[in-house]
Amino acid sequence: MDTILNVMHGFSIALLPVNLLYCFIGVFIGTLVGVLPGIGPISAMSLLLPVTLSGTPESGIIMMAGIYYGSMYGGSTTSILVNIPGEAASVVTCIDGHQMAKQGRAGPALGISALGSFIAGTFSLVALMLVAPSLASVAIAFGPAEYFSLMVLGLVVLTFLTQGSMAKALLMACIGVVLGLIGLDAITAQPRLTFGRLELIDGIGLVPVVMGLFGLAEVLTNTEQVLKRDIINAKITQLLPNKADWKASAGPIGRGTLLGFFLGILPGGGAVVASFASYALEKRLSKTPERFGHGAIEGVAGPESANNAAAGGAFIPLMTLGIPPNVVMALLLGAFVIHGLQPGPLLITQNPGLFWGIVASMYIGNVMLLVLNLPLIGMWVQLLKLPYNILFPLIILFTIIGVYCSSNNVFDVYVMVAFGVIGYFMRKFGYEPAPLVLAFVLGPMLENNLRKSLILSQGDLLTFMQRPISAACLLLAAVLLIGPLLPSLRKKREIVALDEGA
Amino acid sequence: MSDLSNPNYKLNNSELWGGLVGLALGIFVIWSSFRLKIGTIHDPGSGYVLFYTGILMCLFAATIIVAAVTEGGPTFASRWEGTRWTRPVALIAFLIVYCFALEPLGFLLSSIPLMLLLLRAIDPVRWPLAIPLAVLAPLGVWWVLKRILLIQLPAGIFEVG
Repeated sequence: MDTILNVMHGFSIALLPVNLLYCFIGVFIGTLVGVLPGIGPISAMSLLLPVTLSGTPESGIIMMAGIYYGSMYGGSTTSILVNIPGEAASVVTCIDGHQMAKQGRAGPALGISALGSFIAGTFSLVALMLVAPSLASVAIAFGPAEYFSLMVLGLVVLTFLTQGSMAKALLMACIGVVLGLIGLDAITAQPRLTFGRLELIDGIGLVPVVMGLFGLAEVLTNTEQVLKRDIINAKITQLLPNKADWKASAGPIGRGTLLGFFLGILPGGGAVVASFASYALEKRLSKTPERFGHGAIEGVAGPESANNAAAGGAFIPLMTLGIPPNVVMALLLGAFVIHGLQPGPLLITQNPGLFWGIVASMYIGNVMLLVLNLPLIGMWVQLLKLPYNILFPLIILFTIIGVYCSSNNVFDVYVMVAFGVIGYFMRKFGYEPAPLVLAFVLGPMLENNLRKSLILSQGDLLTFMQRPISAACLLLAAVLLIGPLLPSLRKKREIVALDEGA
Repeated sequence: MSDLSNPNYKLNNSELWGGLVGLALGIFVIWSSFRLKIGTIHDPGSGYVLFYTGILMCLFAATIIVAAVTEGGPTFASRWEGTRWTRPVALIAFLIVYCFALEPLGFLLSSIPLMLLLLRAIDPVRWPLAIPLAVLAPLGVWWVLKRILLIQLPAGIFEVG
């Protein structure tokens, strides 16, 4: 009964005209960045982070969340029609989605992708509503040791799932922690690694770091490549899948939804892992696995449902524990902090309007996305024809503006350009930026909780092993760290390894 | 990468240099943590976490170096093989110049030439499209920020904008 009342309260907030407008802007921009290759939800969210300052916390966060789940919808359009993933979670959709489009079945591919996403998105919201309050009430009992261990686990899972060498990913995570600690020490107020620069006293901003590593570095990488676009030009008719399509897709949608939701909750996991895992699962369960790669609708329905369910699931650790499970959620945490709010176990009880308003807006956003992605598909196809040589100068201009507006400081533009160049070389040398950014956000919290735990336990390191949740997290992290040394586990890791940041 | 069969100890092994940069950074972090006071396990100081993070950095960098020496790695040149590498180089150069020009010249006087350069020098767009886009995009953004969002962009010594 309480949940129903809370949902109704949430809808009363989400249906305010200003919040509806922000929700629409969010899902529209999300679809746009999902459709456009070369700019992803991370770049768009960091670009718009300063804009959230102008409204209420609800409006800003509703818009940011809309960009995230909107991009999950939009990404599939580019994958199916152009064979270029609009964002990383849609990489796997290219395999069968584009083949379907080549066989003249672009309509059903786009249709099942949007409808599967809608079903998965709705399920994940219902689950979010039911799970989050219960988990938050448990999380109140968490102490600094549990928080520290959970953050360590999150970082280790992300490095485990990152493409390429795990040593490189771990090195990146360490660099992220160091960068996060630049500025005044929260306990002693001693300046750290500031090199006498006043601009660094408050630390490096999240926006210039993310915009540099993801936005600018992506542009630098794209300019050196020839982007081949194999756009399906045939008129798209009959978007609704037929009976046979639904019969083939029902199972993958259901399994993808459940798998995606649980993978989304895990620290370090997210939409990209979910889509790959769902594709692998469907191929394994199929009686005709040879159809995969040649236009199997199950290869579109499963991953697309999984990535949307994961997008919803990822809100759980952020809202209930205050720990962002991936880079996108780290940016959302930034939006909360900008408004002086701290997500965590007390958020739901202290700010019920905010929590339930965001959840309700996500329902509304999912409906908006269905309208944006099915009847308006022609508009997005036209947009795909925009050449990259016109697009990238605009991306750079908006990146500069976004960074400057986040702090009204030219120094942040220098930081962004520096991280853009660093990010470009990192990509060239096989160092993934995602662990660095997540560690950058978690670094100060990690340090704070470690020092608190040590002070409270009078220097007893066993405190981390005496608490069951903390011990379980650290043991799991240790297994993941040692695991890749075993050849069988290393092989499995290489199969699931991904490029989270793309 | 294409030439993983390179002799392991070659100095152009890019993996080796990547590891060495990581090692240097790790040593720097450890050195900085000493200057900040590490403290003890009962009373961790400002440099406590930095110190252990620095040690981990050295450890992971050493792993990368060992792998580079024992297994070899791609050369620097092979990382850019088959790419149009001059474009990112030019783009980086333009952005560095832009950083130096932004404050003294102001947003409009520095962004319009930057846009023109990006539209014409990297992957040329036709002049009739490049000129209006280079002028109107920064001008439009400046107008929205200044008039609607009331955000002041740098005006520079000429007070333009």
